[in-house]
Amino acid sequence: MKKITLLLIGLIALIGLIGLIGCSSDEGGATKADSSGNDSAEPVEGGKMNVAISADPNTLDWMYTGESAARKIGWHIFEGLFALNQDYEAKPLLADSYEVSEDGKTYTIDLREGLTFHNGEEVTSKDAVASLERWLKVSSIGEITNQHVESLEVVDELQFKIHLNKAYTSLLSDLSAPKHAAVIIPASIAEEAGEQPLSRDELIGTGPFEFDSWKRGNEVVIKKFENYASREGEMSGLTGGKKAYFDSVHFKVVKDPQVILNGMKTGLYDYGSDIPLDLYEVVEAAPDLVAETSNNGYTILTTDKSEAPFDDNKVRQALNAALNKEEIAKATYGNEDFYGLDGALFTPNQTALYSDQNIEGFSGYDPEKAKELLEESSYDGKPIKIMFANSYSDYKKIAEIAEQQLEEVGFNVNLESFEWATYLDKWGKASNWDIVVIGWSPFFSPNQAGMVSQDSNSSGWYNSPEWQQLISDWATAGTEEEKDQILAELNATLYEERPFEKVANVSNLDVRSTSVKSYNSWYGPRSWNTWKAE
Amino acid sequence: MLQYTIRRLLSVIPVMFVVSVIVFMIVHLTPGNPALIILGEDTSPKAIADLEEQLGLNDPLYIQFFNWLSQVITGDLGTSVYSERKVTELIFSNFRPTFSLMSLSMILLLVIAIPAAIAIVALRKTVLDPIFTSVSLLGVSIPDFWLAILLVLGFGVALPVFPVAGYVPLTEGMGAWLYHLLLPAFVLAIVEVGIIARMLRDSMLESVNQDYTKTALAKGIKEREVLVRHVFANALIPTTTVLGATVAGLLGGTVIIETLFTIPGIGQLLIDSIHRRDYPVVQGVVLFIAAIYVLVNLLVDLLYTFLDPRIRYD
Repeated sequence: MKKITLLLIGLIALIGLIGLIGCSSDEGGATKADSSGNDSAEPVEGGKMNVAISADPNTLDWMYTGESAARKIGWHIFEGLFALNQDYEAKPLLADSYEVSEDGKTYTIDLREGLTFHNGEEVTSKDAVASLERWLKVSSIGEITNQHVESLEVVDELQFKIHLNKAYTSLLSDLSAPKHAAVIIPASIAEEAGEQPLSRDELIGTGPFEFDSWKRGNEVVIKKFENYASREGEMSGLTGGKKAYFDSVHFKVVKDPQVILNGMKTGLYDYGSDIPLDLYEVVEAAPDLVAETSNNGYTILTTDKSEAPFDDNKVRQALNAALNKEEIAKATYGNEDFYGLDGALFTPNQTALYSDQNIEGFSGYDPEKAKELLEESSYDGKPIKIMFANSYSDYKKIAEIAEQQLEEVGFNVNLESFEWATYLDKWGKASNWDIVVIGWSPFFSPNQAGMVSQDSNSSGWYNSPEWQQLISDWATAGTEEEKDQILAELNATLYEERPFEKVANVSNLDVRSTSVKSYNSWYGPRSWNTWKAE
Repeated sequence: MLQYTIRRLLSVIPVMFVVSVIVFMIVHLTPGNPALIILGEDTSPKAIADLEEQLGLNDPLYIQFFNWLSQVITGDLGTSVYSERKVTELIFSNFRPTFSLMSLSMILLLVIAIPAAIAIVALRKTVLDPIFTSVSLLGVSIPDFWLAILLVLGFGVALPVFPVAGYVPLTEGMGAWLYHLLLPAFVLAIVEVGIIARMLRDSMLESVNQDYTKTALAKGIKEREVLVRHVFANALIPTTTVLGATVAGLLGGTVIIETLFTIPGIGQLLIDSIHRRDYPVVQGVVLFIAAIYVLVNLLVDLLYTFLDPRIRYD
């Protein structure tokens, strides 16, 4: 009896201990062993890198899809003729050099010598032309480009030409966009796949890693491509010299960010992507983890301009005056490192595209003015519906704070939230919403800006001859001055016509283990030119 | 007995038909377009329309239902619109981790609940009995997701005894399989342990005061032997009924536990398929779960005859 009582006391004490352990935090001011990821240690070849990703991609065909999960894996396997560097500028990758004819209508592109696909075949201009022909059909960016392309012509083994129907200076931006990407695959595969996504056997690219296996919903494994032909020079974004140190990279699908963090603390994963910003302090407190932030585009409120009340620009102006964006951003994203209040069409780190001219209209918070504008407008007091996807906590917070601020000036507001699939379905019909809260990932040319695509649900049925004219001008702008002028005018048009209300530029939070060395943070996990300490 | 079994098996057919109609309607009447989800929001309307046509989503609902049903009758649950793999193949591959998890949970459940209930009946006149009642109530009341988080923090992170996530199939080694599954199986079992142990204790306490127990004790048989051979055996019938329901409880619990421990099982497959509006998979998995539930209940009914010779179905 005494023994049993003692045993019971012991058991209760153990449960209490577990509770204490569970409730304790790791705060202790520990110093991070390697916060920058850069150190002078000798590179280590071999081993594997475990990367936790939050979603299982629908397909790994990076040309076919714009999904971020496909991008994070796809850029290890596939490469394009051109790619973005660290500053989001288009630079040659598989292309050795290119020439543009005087009239701007013909691009002559030379491929680098000695390039091989993962199946051992050499890369030729025939492959490049077949891949681009497929890209022009299956990619949403390719479809934009296709409006300007007249024909593609193989010149010789390593040279081909792109003939345009008129000068189009966005061609290189389109060819280097890291979604629906213009990657080069063997001609036989491009022709056989046609407009269908690539099957597993067809995932053949030229990247530093090759596809190995895929257990749906579980993990994607890529392995080092031994015959990779790297460019010369420093690594920058997706361009420059690349070397795979790891034998293999395992992308493991882990949907719960808390599981990712626990896995990283115990060495199960070396890198975790898409961690919610409210877990930043947990990352900071963990001694062996380092936060890696990258540009994640911006969040906006898109208005439905096809119907009352937001078909009236006065109501849209009242919306701007009613919103205290600083308050919304602070309450939503907390830490100032993760958001920026800036009204430009592009984000400041997109140096070649960013213009800070004509953005004064971004922040016009003035409740009294909002009330006056609303009084003068056609708004009749009917409830407006703010719709958002409840799977994203930031959209929910933005919608809730916006609701309060709008009601303070006289808007009558209803919130409607749906899970993502239902939201996507409802987004397609104007009668379902008046405002949607949504985030847009970075885009790399004005004509790729989905939130202002003409007469579509994603722009709230925005129709603007001025905007279309500027996009048309952009396509033929020859000099940097001309481009700067157009970027400034695009900003001005945004604040005259107000197709959407930008809330804030936002950052994405990834987490890296300090054991992963020489890591350079950019637009998602890249497993080349980095290694794990022994 | 054989006739009864055949009758019960035939009665499964209308049940499954009703389940299939309900599942089909719920899945198809929920807003959401699989083509849009597969292609992404920045895809052209033409590409979405083409995929809708290819997936047969433009047909009227009743035609889609009869197309699907005629496939199901032949044992073909269709093809996933997302992975393009056969639904039966997906269910088979994802059920293996779930079956592992459920089996281990069931073993843990029985190993903990049965000795605990017998011991507590033996010690029914001591202070341990009310403590047992309170602790088992606590077990029933603890939300499994909360316990999972706590145990992961305790035995996965602070004292890294078990991995915080992942699954290794049994084919890769018993040790690795057990190492990865023990924590999630324990969480899954603990709620049901409370239910089963309390049920068994209550049933055994009822039997303890029966005349046959007193007679056995009067004949000089040791109390321990009477408890195990007579009291426990008679308490098994109501407990078996609850155990049948427990299988369903475990299957439901795997949906949460598999997400928390990143186990690629049937629960994860169902959740992912709902999010993706992968209609054939959702329909197939729900039908499969319904079939398991019905068959487990049939098995429980048949078990009664073995546990209690007085029960005869013919």
